[in-house]
Amino acid sequence: MSLLTAIFYYLAAASVASALFAVTRKNPVHSMLWVLALFLHVAGIFLLLGAEFLAAVQVIVYAGAILVFYLFVVMLLDLPVEVERPRFGSHWPIAAAVGACFAVLIWLAQAQMRYPPIIDHGPAVERAAMGSPARGSLAEIGAALFGPFAFPFELVSLVLLAAIVGAVVLARKRSSAA
Amino acid sequence: MNLPVDAIQGLSAVLFGIGGFGFLARRNIILMFISVEVMLNAVNLSLAGFAWFLDDLRGQILALFVIALAAAEAGVGLGLVIALNRNKPGAAVADVTKLKW
Repeated sequence: MSLLTAIFYYLAAASVASALFAVTRKNPVHSMLWVLALFLHVAGIFLLLGAEFLAAVQVIVYAGAILVFYLFVVMLLDLPVEVERPRFGSHWPIAAAVGACFAVLIWLAQAQMRYPPIIDHGPAVERAAMGSPARGSLAEIGAALFGPFAFPFELVSLVLLAAIVGAVVLARKRSSAA
Repeated sequence: MNLPVDAIQGLSAVLFGIGGFGFLARRNIILMFISVEVMLNAVNLSLAGFAWFLDDLRGQILALFVIALAAAEAGVGLGLVIALNRNKPGAAVADVTKLKW
C-alpha cells in the first residue's frame, strides 16, 4: 500500500466520521464545525483525484462562503432551547433504513460500471513536462468552461442572479404590503 | 498512484446515505439543509472520481456546476429560513404547519 493510498483511506474514514457527527450532534454549531471538517477532507480527496481547481473551489466556496452563511443563520437560533429539543423525529429508524438503502442502491449501480483499463496518470509535474496541461489544471478547466461548456456556464450565472434576487425578496421585511 | 475505483464510489455512496438519513431524520431546518450539502458533496466526490477513472474532464466541470447550484440553493433556502423566523422564532420543521389542512 503506497503512502497516497494510505492517505486516501485516512481521508475517507475521517470524512465518513465527520459526516456522521455532523448529522447527529445536538448543538447546531458543533454540526457546522464537523461539516467544515468533512468539506476539508473531501477537498483533500479531490487533490488525490487530480482535481486541484475543484479542491480550491471546495475550500473557498464551500468551506469559506457557504458555511459562513450557514453559521450566520444559526445565530438566529436560540441555542439552549435547540439543544434541549429532540434532534431526531420519532421516525428516525425509517430514515436510517432509507439512507442505508440509498447507499446500497448506489453501490450496486456503480458495481455494474465497466471502466477502461486504468491509465497511470503520473504526477502533474510529469504531465506538465510533457507539454500537455495537467488534467484538472486551471488552464484545462478554463478552456473547457469557455469552450464547449460556455452556454451552461452563462446559464449558471443567470441561476445565481435569480437566487440572489430570490433571497433578497424572501428575506426582506414587508413594509407596505400586508 | 492507483486509487481503488470501488473505494471512491463506495465512499460517495456512504456519504450520500448519511446525508439522506440526516435530511429525513433531523427536525431542524438548518441541519436539514446541512444534510443536503453533505449529499451534494457525496455527488461531487463521485463525479470527480469518474473524471479521474474515465480520464474525462466533464466530471469535474459538472462538479463545479453542482457547487455553484449549491451556493444558489443555500442562498434561497436560508432566505426562506429567515422569512420563517420572522413569523415564528425557531427552526423546527414541526412548527411550520401554516399550509397544513
